[in-house]
Amino acid sequence: MTRTKIIIVAHVFAFTLQAQSPVAPTAESVGIPRGDTISGYNVRQSFEVGYRWHSVGGDAGMYRSTVNYGNGPRLLSSSLSVNSVDGHGGYFDHVQINTIGLGNDPYESASLRLEKNRLYRYDLSWRSDAYYNPGLTISGGEHFLDTVRRVQDHDFTLFPQGSFKIFLGYSSNTQTGPALTTIQQFDVRGDEYPLFANIRRAQHEYRLGTELNMMGFRLNVLHAWVDFKDDTPVSLGAASQGNNPADLNTLTSLQRSEPYHGTSPYWRVALFRENKLWAANGRFSYVAGHRAFVDDETAFGFNRVGTPTGTQIVTLGNAERPALAGNFTFSLFPSAKLTLTNQTSISHIRMVGNSYFTQVTNGVFSAFNPFTFLGIRTIANATDADLRLTKWFAVRAGYEYSTRRIRSIEGADIRGVTTPPSQRVPIEQENGLHTGLLGVRIRPLKALSILLDTEIGRADHPIYPVSQRNYETYRGRIEYKLKSVRLAGYSRTDYNTNSASLANFASHSRQYGVDGSWIPKSWFSIDASYTKLHLDTLGAINYFAQINNVGAVQQVTTDQSRYVSNIHSGNLSARVSIRQRVDVSAGYSLVQDVGAHSLVFPQTFPLRYLSPQGRVSVRIREKIRWNVGYQYYGYHTDFSGLQNYRAHTAYTSVLWAF
Amino acid sequence: MLVGGVRAVLGLFFLGIFILATPTALPGADYVGSNVCRTCHPNVFATFFRNPHYKSIASGKEKPENTGCESCHGPGQDHVNARGGKATIPVAFSLVSPEKVLDTCLRCHSQTVSRANIRRSEHTQRDIVCTNCHSIHSSPAPKFLLAKQQQSELCYGCHASVRAQFSMPFKHRVNEGFMQCTDCHNPHGAFASTWNMAARPRMVDQAGGNEEPCLKCHIDKRGPFVYEHAAVRVDGCETCHSPHGSTNARLLKRPVTFTLCLECHNGFGNFGRRLDGPQNPSASHNLADPRYQNCTTCHVRIHGSNGSQLFFR
Repeated sequence: MTRTKIIIVAHVFAFTLQAQSPVAPTAESVGIPRGDTISGYNVRQSFEVGYRWHSVGGDAGMYRSTVNYGNGPRLLSSSLSVNSVDGHGGYFDHVQINTIGLGNDPYESASLRLEKNRLYRYDLSWRSDAYYNPGLTISGGEHFLDTVRRVQDHDFTLFPQGSFKIFLGYSSNTQTGPALTTIQQFDVRGDEYPLFANIRRAQHEYRLGTELNMMGFRLNVLHAWVDFKDDTPVSLGAASQGNNPADLNTLTSLQRSEPYHGTSPYWRVALFRENKLWAANGRFSYVAGHRAFVDDETAFGFNRVGTPTGTQIVTLGNAERPALAGNFTFSLFPSAKLTLTNQTSISHIRMVGNSYFTQVTNGVFSAFNPFTFLGIRTIANATDADLRLTKWFAVRAGYEYSTRRIRSIEGADIRGVTTPPSQRVPIEQENGLHTGLLGVRIRPLKALSILLDTEIGRADHPIYPVSQRNYETYRGRIEYKLKSVRLAGYSRTDYNTNSASLANFASHSRQYGVDGSWIPKSWFSIDASYTKLHLDTLGAINYFAQINNVGAVQQVTTDQSRYVSNIHSGNLSARVSIRQRVDVSAGYSLVQDVGAHSLVFPQTFPLRYLSPQGRVSVRIREKIRWNVGYQYYGYHTDFSGLQNYRAHTAYTSVLWAF
Repeated sequence: MLVGGVRAVLGLFFLGIFILATPTALPGADYVGSNVCRTCHPNVFATFFRNPHYKSIASGKEKPENTGCESCHGPGQDHVNARGGKATIPVAFSLVSPEKVLDTCLRCHSQTVSRANIRRSEHTQRDIVCTNCHSIHSSPAPKFLLAKQQQSELCYGCHASVRAQFSMPFKHRVNEGFMQCTDCHNPHGAFASTWNMAARPRMVDQAGGNEEPCLKCHIDKRGPFVYEHAAVRVDGCETCHSPHGSTNARLLKRPVTFTLCLECHNGFGNFGRRLDGPQNPSASHNLADPRYQNCTTCHVRIHGSNGSQLFFR
């Protein structure tokens, strides 16, 4: 294969089936640089440096919540690859560094791989996500968030290709930033007040493990120590009339401190083996979650009848959640055409909570000591058979039975009066689920494949009205793929009916789609997809309301919650390369929920979210490209125009690869 | 006597396992070595030192059947004698069946925990095998020899409905590069999930402590709490959220909070832990008043609380 052909292949890979990713960083490459060889290492680098612009009309908060690209210079992407030419480098044989969005993009990431053949491998992943949420929900959400989440993972493997390996790992996850939350004071008929919270959460995980290969079996043991802490202080900025200024409730001050620390150490042991006739694997894990907490909250103001009120609440205690899970899978391969698999899994999780709650309101003391327990035990057994009858026809079938037992205790000792053991008897229920699966795959031509399968499940006591009870899933997929053309269509239907004596819930979900790509020439490609996502649900609801805003509040037991969404989603993108010097790409993405117009009183919220984009990338010199791109975002709901926006984003950059 | 018999049986058992576990070369096979391949395929070889499979050549200690080109493509003598041609390559990946592709790659790659279920994975059962997602010689991706530069593009190639979900206004940041599909899924086949029923493996990978993958990042939702919102533990986060993407804020399944809550909290019998239905709102809640339509304004700690059974604080 000539170098030109390699470059063309690389371009074709870049051209086909692009998702509607943000317009930058630039997808086009400058080809495949050979790099420079220095002291036995081949070094390749690329940097894309540019500037982003954006302009938003409408609700900037919604833009920040859904897109969030801002202005400023960026290192849009970069990569460094160092490879030992003979595979016998000094301290390392391979270094790979990749970054995206460094320099204040809301989504930044960096990864590093460093390895020495047969001796060690080190992987680092660092990611940052700036998430903004202006309290989005239609009925007046007040939970604002402007936080940054940073995640990093370090994994070091000693003897990665050996029969005996050692793993060391460290992960960290932090979330910091301002937020607004809410509280209701001074009783359950009081008013609601926004509170300021300075979120400070951190989790650190340390891992140590080993893997041993002995007589064909591989034993993998991992132990991890996980520490979590949340020291978010909550306070009231200034005296507030609350959400309902017409009432007498007023909050003049509030301070809350609620340190919440704990550990979740876990063990994972896996034993597995595969050979020509059979394969087996077992996995066992145990995690002992523990959290200790103190909540000290002091509030002053006026209650709903206008009486000056001061209240202090102190809660302290701990919560435990030991969880044990095990899987054992055994597969048989009696012939090249048949695979039989049986899997048994068991999961047992217990949640035990104890806390001491005291409240002093205007000198009146109250206290209780709750005891809660929630235990869930699930046992499942699944058998699957996959039979490849001919080269073009195969069938698979499966059956699974799972049984779950849920036990719970909810109670409290009030002011030191111990609840008698007879009243601590747990509530218990069991439920079972049978599912069957049948599927075929047909390949009448090498380029054509057809997949059809169905799964039917029956549960006896689903725990929630929306849980799966009598459900059926039908899936079909057809794909035709030749060198320059790919066409695919699929359909998926999920029906679930869950009914009891007084309530019923039904969910109908249907998905249809077609997608295809065509690459007639190495310099031209087009990619398109269309998906229809339909969901309608109908559930019985039961609540209290003042009918037509007149008279007393009444219980409504005959109403239904009906939700209908009909989402059409389409992507279209095309790319043209002119004389291997100028690459022009254009894309269009549309998501439109057309709602339901013909039904009576459905919840339906039509919206349109579209995003066309275009990019021109010019190869200025062999190793340098200049890029410019534009992307529009439009968000429009019919229900309320308050959150609609139109955003223009653009960038220009220089990509240098050598 | 009995102990001796048991020892003999165990000895035979482990001997059998040892024999089955020992990789064997193809009978009558003639290996020519990668340098011979280089003569006619210089372009493949010119950049092969960047390929992870180059380790087998660099090592110099591997057996011929585990070294370089022939470790995957099989012994090359016939191909050389015939002066080329795909038909003479023992394992030409574009010609062989999906099972053969899988068998070839798993000779070396089966033995990791993440691939322990690959033989029974949904992908394998649909004939999606290694070379559908990995490009051994022409990978544009920096790691894992993926056939596309971005992992999401690779997955969207078949999962177009998922691509539609990630195109929605509210979504996890996969297209933006912050996340990858494999943060939550194991494309090589996952162990059975343990957080709900209907536990047929759906490629959803567990967090370290065998929990939903959501808790890898959403650390504050993990608990444990004195008062757990039982739905989170019993049926999982998907009870209320659409994890890929949604037209509703916070990836909720409904745009309005109170209908999402009321569809479970309807107080009708046969459901819930006491079989009397999850409790419906009290008479103090006038649902006709918008004040009561956003439940989480008061029930703030909806994922779990340490101080309030009703999740007030």
